[in-house]
Amino acid sequence: MSDQGASLAVDMRGITKQFPGVRANDKVDFSVRRAEIHALVGENGAGKSTLMNILYGLVHPDSGEILIDEKTVHVAGPRDAIGLGIGMVHQHFMLIPVFSVGENIMLGREPVTGPGFYDRARARAAINELTRRYGLALDPDARMGDLPVGLQQRAEIVKVLYRGAEILILDEPTGVLTPQESKELFGVLRDLVKGGKTIIFISHKLKEVLEISDRITVMRRGKVVGHLTTRDTNEEEIATLMVGRAVLLRVDKAPAKPGEVALKVDNLTANSDQSVPALKGASFELRYGEILGIAGVEGNGQSELMEVLAGTRHATGGQVLLAGRDITTMDANTERDAGVAFIPEDRRGTGLVLGFSIAENSILGRERALTFSWRHFVLNLVAIRNWALRLVKEFDIRTPSIDVAVRNLSGGNQQKVIVAREIGSNPKVLLAAQPTRGVDIGAIEFIHRQIVRERDNGAAVLLVSAELDEVRSLSDRIAVMYEGRIVSIEPPDTPEERLGLLMTGGGVREGAA
Amino acid sequence: MSTRPRPPLMPPIVRRLVRGLGMPLGSVLLAFVLGGLIVAATGGNPFSAYAALVCGGFGIGCTQGENPALQISNTIVFVIPLITAGVAVALPFRAGLFNIGAEGQLLAGSIACTAVGIKFSSLPAPILLPMVLISGMVAGALWAGVAGVLKATIGAHEVVTTIMMNYIAQWLLRYLIIGGPLQLAPGTSKSSPIGPGARLATILPNDNSLIILGLPSSVFRVHTGLFIALAAAAVFAFLLWRTSLGYEIRAVGQSQKAARYAGVSVRRTIIVTMLIAGAFSGLAGAIEIAGVDHNLTDKYFSDTTGFDAIAVALLGLGSAVGIVLAAILFGALHAGGAVMQADANISGNLVFVLQALILFSIAANFVGAIRQRIPGLGRPTALPPEMPPAAPLMTEAAAPPAEA
Amino acid sequence: MSALGDILHLLLTANLWQATLAAAVLLLLPALGGTISERSGVVNIAMEGMMLTGAFFGVAADLAWQNPWLATGVAMLAGALMASIHAFVSIQFRADQIVSGIAINIFAAGLTVFLINRIYGLQDVGHVGQSALLPNINVPGLDQIPFFGKVLFQQNVIVYVALVLLVLTHLVLFRTRLGLRIRAVGEHPQAADTAGINVFAIRYGAVFTSGLLSGLSGAFLAIGISNTFVPNMTDGRGYIALAAMIFGKWTPFGAFVACLIFGLGQAIYDNNSIIHVSPYLLSMLPYLLTLIVLAGLVGRSTPPAADGLPYVPGSE
Repeated sequence: MSDQGASLAVDMRGITKQFPGVRANDKVDFSVRRAEIHALVGENGAGKSTLMNILYGLVHPDSGEILIDEKTVHVAGPRDAIGLGIGMVHQHFMLIPVFSVGENIMLGREPVTGPGFYDRARARAAINELTRRYGLALDPDARMGDLPVGLQQRAEIVKVLYRGAEILILDEPTGVLTPQESKELFGVLRDLVKGGKTIIFISHKLKEVLEISDRITVMRRGKVVGHLTTRDTNEEEIATLMVGRAVLLRVDKAPAKPGEVALKVDNLTANSDQSVPALKGASFELRYGEILGIAGVEGNGQSELMEVLAGTRHATGGQVLLAGRDITTMDANTERDAGVAFIPEDRRGTGLVLGFSIAENSILGRERALTFSWRHFVLNLVAIRNWALRLVKEFDIRTPSIDVAVRNLSGGNQQKVIVAREIGSNPKVLLAAQPTRGVDIGAIEFIHRQIVRERDNGAAVLLVSAELDEVRSLSDRIAVMYEGRIVSIEPPDTPEERLGLLMTGGGVREGAA
Repeated sequence: MSTRPRPPLMPPIVRRLVRGLGMPLGSVLLAFVLGGLIVAATGGNPFSAYAALVCGGFGIGCTQGENPALQISNTIVFVIPLITAGVAVALPFRAGLFNIGAEGQLLAGSIACTAVGIKFSSLPAPILLPMVLISGMVAGALWAGVAGVLKATIGAHEVVTTIMMNYIAQWLLRYLIIGGPLQLAPGTSKSSPIGPGARLATILPNDNSLIILGLPSSVFRVHTGLFIALAAAAVFAFLLWRTSLGYEIRAVGQSQKAARYAGVSVRRTIIVTMLIAGAFSGLAGAIEIAGVDHNLTDKYFSDTTGFDAIAVALLGLGSAVGIVLAAILFGALHAGGAVMQADANISGNLVFVLQALILFSIAANFVGAIRQRIPGLGRPTALPPEMPPAAPLMTEAAAPPAEA
Repeated sequence: MSALGDILHLLLTANLWQATLAAAVLLLLPALGGTISERSGVVNIAMEGMMLTGAFFGVAADLAWQNPWLATGVAMLAGALMASIHAFVSIQFRADQIVSGIAINIFAAGLTVFLINRIYGLQDVGHVGQSALLPNINVPGLDQIPFFGKVLFQQNVIVYVALVLLVLTHLVLFRTRLGLRIRAVGEHPQAADTAGINVFAIRYGAVFTSGLLSGLSGAFLAIGISNTFVPNMTDGRGYIALAAMIFGKWTPFGAFVACLIFGLGQAIYDNNSIIHVSPYLLSMLPYLLTLIVLAGLVGRSTPPAADGLPYVPGSE
């Protein structure tokens, strides 16, 4: 598909890339006009990251050609890409925490004096000049690991600009930003475009894509399935293209019937892994038969809250009562026995042992339970296998056998193993942290239905999610967390602007919870 | 669940065997080829060297009058401690730990066995024999426990700590039998013998009632420790795959985070694993004393069983059956080395060269790389998960600050 | 407690500290090598084997050509070749770096004795003549300073070389562009790669350098301090150097402090005829000391973030 009129900064034609077992890019045509913001949209595994890695030289295509400024080029590696004026800001920052901001930005292009000594003063001057020119304030001597995420991302952008990037690729840039920081980022992007830069914006957040981009390319399963002009389209159309069928963006559920108080949390405090206070006095009540969703930008204490409630993190103060029983200092295993199930947010690291089979993962945490082991010691292999087979059937986990190592499953199926294990134990309280992160839409719907079903069976569900949409569509009540505290409890139809305001510390009424 | 299409002709058990054996066998073969090249490059004859190895190891094709039965018996004597020590290395691998200290733990076990065997030499067999074996296990467990505790509490990498314990054990041994408390007589460098009740019986009768291939049976030193070693391998397999402790050890080895979530104390698991591993090595050392020499001698100054055990554990891919097979190979190599030195005039140290080449081959999965280049040999499986996970030399202490 | 009194007496003699510095340098060189290698992200526990190889080939070359400088060059090259095997297997094939390191050590131990048998027959290697050894150098003038003159300025040439290398390593690692890149590769190889740095080249170079340094140390041991090759003569020094590196938090000067401590233990042992304790118990001293030092590292010592992890380009 050619573009009439405007000159093309990037033109990728017929790109194909095959990895073992999966065709990541299938004859992809992708073009970006100069000085536009172009969004590249698709689910996980659609091929957008691979396409951009090819553009940046990290991966080599099997076939196809790339034109930059209408000249055919060969991008053999990042050095070539940088030379062509392409800069990439990765989703997982390519920053070294123990180095300073300056050292990070200069890496690979360091100014030197004498026989190779690093010229710190010249680096500082160059960075100050850059940050002034683009209005991105940064301290060159600050230690990168000490900076907040928004500033780290800013350093990534400066890094890319320092190397003379004219074409910037941003991979899921707002995943770790507050709504406020996202707005600031968008302002920066618009300024850059005014200055003639071209921006490729990879995202799966449809609202943002609609807000910031000029044109959109949608990918699905390695192919391009749509070229859209932003002002002529809407969320439903994009989502349908992404998934290939009409998508339920709202969850159908009956109204909640809340019962007794299941969890009473009172002024709970805890430290993060860096031994810094992260949870600074959270208080709320959770009832049986309801879903309480916690909205908040990542890093405001939600992870720590869930971990303390689940018994995998030590509380430094406060109290948690489960149906009247004090469980503040209880460990994970005892809590499991008491009927508390936990879907952890880090499925590959915490929730599963990737090298174990489905069967072995299905009893993770319960290997000493008398249902699965004689005298808590010798494993009852028959019971374990039957349990695993049951879970696979009930939760529709796609696998040829229960002996397959879990690392060979797709992300969605992996998450289903965890969900199946936790829900299958018929919990009284279900703690779900980011239950559908990185999961494809089909599995998301399934997991949402399971969570609602548990609620309807009388379980108390606490949900933490960074996706505001998920929180709003699933929850019966929404608690907003900011800086380690619950700042407000809102009804589920609260407008997004108000939630965003609360999530960033504004708008708390006097005397509210 | 869909059913897998059945592969034609080959029954699944054979298929699994071939897939399982392919990489280790290929590695051994590759090592022998490279070793042969080294021998040839330095003016030796690789064929006569390997022929001597085969003769000394398996009693096959002996041309210089060696007695095949004796060679086999010697091999088995080498194999016995290798099985138990191999287990002592393989078990911690599963927990993500590198037990390079099997040698020191083995020596500790030998020392304890001898000391107890001398001190209580008058006690009868049903009491003394279990006593010396158990004291060997306890000593080995303590030796390994030091490293385990250091790892669990401050994250000190067990490679460095266990190697230090190895050297300490060696010097302790010298101290004890050269002018030290266990010495037999001044001027000798061996210990007094253990009491008769502490000795493991030989498998063949000790009187000369039986003649095997021309040699009286008292010459064959193969002893009942063999059964203890095989039992140890079975216990290891059972522990690892059929118990909740084994499940937890494997979980810790693959993902400490997931293990913690499961409520497993990573610290405790590391310490327990090292203690059990040390007990296995200590047992190997105790069996050596009780079964072979019945006292400590200077032969132990140059003992390498604990290091061979590393190769045994890796080549055996961490499984009980694999360990036994690999122990047989390395036992044969050692028995064969002596014959190779005598007959073919090639230093027995070639065996260490071969061992190192096997280790390289397994660690780098050379066989896998070769298979990828040769079409038709099938896609290689990923490196076996039994390989210890790559890790820096100083890991975070096993428990994060937030662990309850 | 006369043993303790003997030791205290010993600590006041210049001889002891002179021996300490020499013993420390023997450990320092492989420790520097290990530091450079690990800073680039490759775990290297093969210093023991590389030292041993260097020692053997140094002696062999010196016996053949009677030239200690040439022999030292050969030793360094031999160590570097051993290191290259480790680099190749670890970087190219992404082998487990600890297994590879152990394999190198076993390989070196076996190969050296095998070669003794092949080259010299079953006799031992033979002694290098006095004139072909690495010379001790007394710095004129400075060596007459009481106490410190003996300790600092009456040492083997390699000691002076090592101290220069110590300063050089520190400068390169922490003040130059090359050092910045090496450390970047060790902390976050993906970041370095996307910044256009050649991760593999830097890692190969770092491991190669560690081989050169360990080989140098082997030469010092075999034809500087001693005058022949004895099987396994390195006696675990490569591993102690590892502990020194950890103690020094992967910095050259930190490692040097640890090496001085271990060197002291070694020097005390060498004087065991003066101290009335069984030499065997004294031999445990360096190793016990290492354990104690490691145990004392209760404040966590963190290695470079990507240490020990093979780099797979394009993996996220």
